[in-house]
Amino acid sequence: MDKKITQFIQALRNVGGVAEVVKNAADAVAHIGAHLQGPLLAPDSHSLQQAGLKDFLSQAGIEMVCDDFRANGAKAAGGLTGANFGIAATGTVVLESTDENVRIASTLPEKHFVVLDPAKIVSDYNAALPIVRKLHEQWPQVYLAYLTGPSRTADIERVLTIGVHGPRELHVLLLEGISSDFMER
Amino acid sequence: MNKVERSRNYQHRVRQALNKPRLQEALHRFADAYTLAREKAFAGQDFEELRNGIGKMKDEVRDNIDHYLNQFIANAEHAGAKVFVAKTAAEANAYITQLALEKNVQKVVKSKSMASEEIHLNQALRDANIKALETDLGEWIIQLAGERPSHMVMPAIHMFKEEVAELFSKETGREEPAEIEHLVKVARDQLRQAYLEADMGISGANIAVSETGGLALVTNEGNARLVTTLPKIHVALVGLEKLVPRLEHAHDIINVLPKNATGQMVTSYITWIRGAVPCADEKKELHIVFLDNGRTALAKSPHCKDALRCIKCGACANVCPVYQTVGGHVFGHIYISAIGIILTAFFHGLENASELVRACIGCRACVAVCPSQIDLESIILHLREVLGEEEGIGAGKALVFKKVMRNRKLFHGLLRAASRLQKPVTRGERTIRHLPLFFSGLTEWRTLPAIADAPLRDQWATLNQVQAQAKYRVAFFAGCLNDFVYPELGHDLVQVMNHLGVEVTMPLDQNCCGVPALYSGDRETAIALAEQNVAAMLADDPDYVITTCPTCTMALQRDFLDLLGDNPVWAERARHLSEITCDVSRFVVEKLNSGTSFEKVADPAAVTYHDSCHLKRGAGVWQQPRDLLAQTGRDLVEMAHSDRCCGFGGSYSFTSQPDIAKRILNDKISDIEATGAKCVAMDCPGCMMQIRGGLEKQGKKIRAAHTIEIMAEALPQD
Repeated sequence: MDKKITQFIQALRNVGGVAEVVKNAADAVAHIGAHLQGPLLAPDSHSLQQAGLKDFLSQAGIEMVCDDFRANGAKAAGGLTGANFGIAATGTVVLESTDENVRIASTLPEKHFVVLDPAKIVSDYNAALPIVRKLHEQWPQVYLAYLTGPSRTADIERVLTIGVHGPRELHVLLLEGISSDFMER
Repeated sequence: MNKVERSRNYQHRVRQALNKPRLQEALHRFADAYTLAREKAFAGQDFEELRNGIGKMKDEVRDNIDHYLNQFIANAEHAGAKVFVAKTAAEANAYITQLALEKNVQKVVKSKSMASEEIHLNQALRDANIKALETDLGEWIIQLAGERPSHMVMPAIHMFKEEVAELFSKETGREEPAEIEHLVKVARDQLRQAYLEADMGISGANIAVSETGGLALVTNEGNARLVTTLPKIHVALVGLEKLVPRLEHAHDIINVLPKNATGQMVTSYITWIRGAVPCADEKKELHIVFLDNGRTALAKSPHCKDALRCIKCGACANVCPVYQTVGGHVFGHIYISAIGIILTAFFHGLENASELVRACIGCRACVAVCPSQIDLESIILHLREVLGEEEGIGAGKALVFKKVMRNRKLFHGLLRAASRLQKPVTRGERTIRHLPLFFSGLTEWRTLPAIADAPLRDQWATLNQVQAQAKYRVAFFAGCLNDFVYPELGHDLVQVMNHLGVEVTMPLDQNCCGVPALYSGDRETAIALAEQNVAAMLADDPDYVITTCPTCTMALQRDFLDLLGDNPVWAERARHLSEITCDVSRFVVEKLNSGTSFEKVADPAAVTYHDSCHLKRGAGVWQQPRDLLAQTGRDLVEMAHSDRCCGFGGSYSFTSQPDIAKRILNDKISDIEATGAKCVAMDCPGCMMQIRGGLEKQGKKIRAAHTIEIMAEALPQD
């Protein structure tokens, strides 16, 4: 396996995230199904479409929420998004989330599932810089998120506690061949 | 409140804090964990290079603030944001409350913003009948408690889970158990609905990028993402110092900030926001309020402006022995610890900073970890001078410094008289165990050394120098403690130097180095003493000037340059003195290559080493004395926190903050004792006075020795 991929997986696991290589869409669906109890927010995304994930998920009997995210967001058990790219050094997923539905899917539910093409993992912040700059050049409005592991706090007695306001779990599923587009939105 | 009341009130708060052992224990434990985590996070990175880069970049922005601000505004407005620059706290509060009233905002959710604490935004909103809810866990806890943050990054670090459970129980109307995981869940559940209901979200920002007109938020909990997503209006309150030129500079900060703040490699979330992003089928209304509130004035202060480099990581608190002892409510105003002292002076007024300025012990632990290379201690020292000018330094000190110290003969005459007058309390011993009447507090927790019968200067002519052909001729700057309290160290020094082929002179016109006056805010006296000492030490044109006191070393190397650098009569000589001044351990190792000069002692009993603040973090010397201990055959056992202050701090432990000093000393003694060593070595007569005094008072059979003594003991007998 590419060194960047193993580094990414290790770094993400170090901060309490889940990182799995999946062979195909069916494996991804199996992983999501095994960890999800309830409706799934699934905003439109290039990666998800390429992988044909939504159909697989529906066929697997998972309740999909595809509209009115504000009203349904609080009830959903999970959110599913693609990702623009990953950063190996820190185990970070970079997600263009200017679309409000992407933001809601990645902030409100308890679990956030991400499918990322491992070909889009870059080594570090330096390598990320030109992509981040390009993302800023492409559209005037930008809401871009670096996500590294689950939501955490140490505000009570400095004890690390997972899952305060954001997702309690972050699952990154590495699925080859779904997207080579770093700019996807 | 007048000055006397204010001081009394502050001392009262210090004593209250000292009576909270659980808080002290928690802060000490945190400091240990932080130090380890930070070290691990920076492994393989060059911290000096990183912080040098951040410092330079921040200076560039500070010096060209109009350019970078205008560039930011143009880019942000192009993306649909509205930008307002508030000159004062009042202007910022008025803009935000006015906006909220205009838009008929009932409820505001906030993510963590120290700038909003700085301007008391919650109070301003409350006055306008707008309910503002803090959503950061720590901030919510202190909001419920009606308190203010005691740490910039961890606002509720002073509270314990039982207290949090009590606050949460009141809020939920149920009995909430004091289990941290449960309490975190309570916060999640309680605040969830608020994000959806709120009409306005208020956040701070860690970085404002001029190149893009966007903001970056560095967070862990995820509340800032909700606050900036769900409500239709987003107000970001941003200190002007948060501007950076380009995205790569933002990355530089994002790389360093989590590592230096909490020892994390990276936070859970970095959120980049530019412009009016979509919001519930419309466009979000984004208002960016830049806050000046004293920042422009700070940028123009020649001595203090580096404070604007701060990236608000809070590390200066984490490592501060005073903070660990009394906490951020006592050692802080809104902003806490070292950086807090400076920002308070400029943002909240000198009167709110004055007690804090004096509560800094000057150990430079903060300087060593600052990610923006701010010399916090020097700036605080300058503020002490300003305070001395504004408020006076106290009649007693003024008399001593101005009338006595500046007149060397009078000063030394009085010290000689004191040596005779102390006889009734010393009973002929070298140590004062108890002092009568109102002086008794001084010897309650440490013995004090007696003033020597004959100071070193009076003995100097009788010292037999055996030096046929000297390699170097050095002048010894003894400093008051060496001269009048520990003259025996001078004997040791001469023996060691002679053995290593060096002739030593002691210019008798040397006076106090001026640090006590300078650190008390009397710059004028410090200048007078600097001039006397430059003249005295250079009179015979020595090859080097050597010292046994690192505080004196800093005076000769650094302070004299600062005090005389603008004076054409003295500048060149002060620079020369600075260049040839060297502490004795470094001199022996580096200039004399002492390698095999010592005889290893027969009984290599374990020795531990205490790093004096001004030696390690002032002169940059810590390896050399350890090398010397090895060369003399000692078995070095490192203590925990070897470079943590001993609590001496000159007049700090006598008059300013003896209670804090005592507690810091006790920490040091515990660390020494834990090594099992029977001797603790150090390179500072001040530390020696403090540590020896504490060890004696507590009846510990551990010797406190200057490294020069240990060297002298290891000279070959011939």
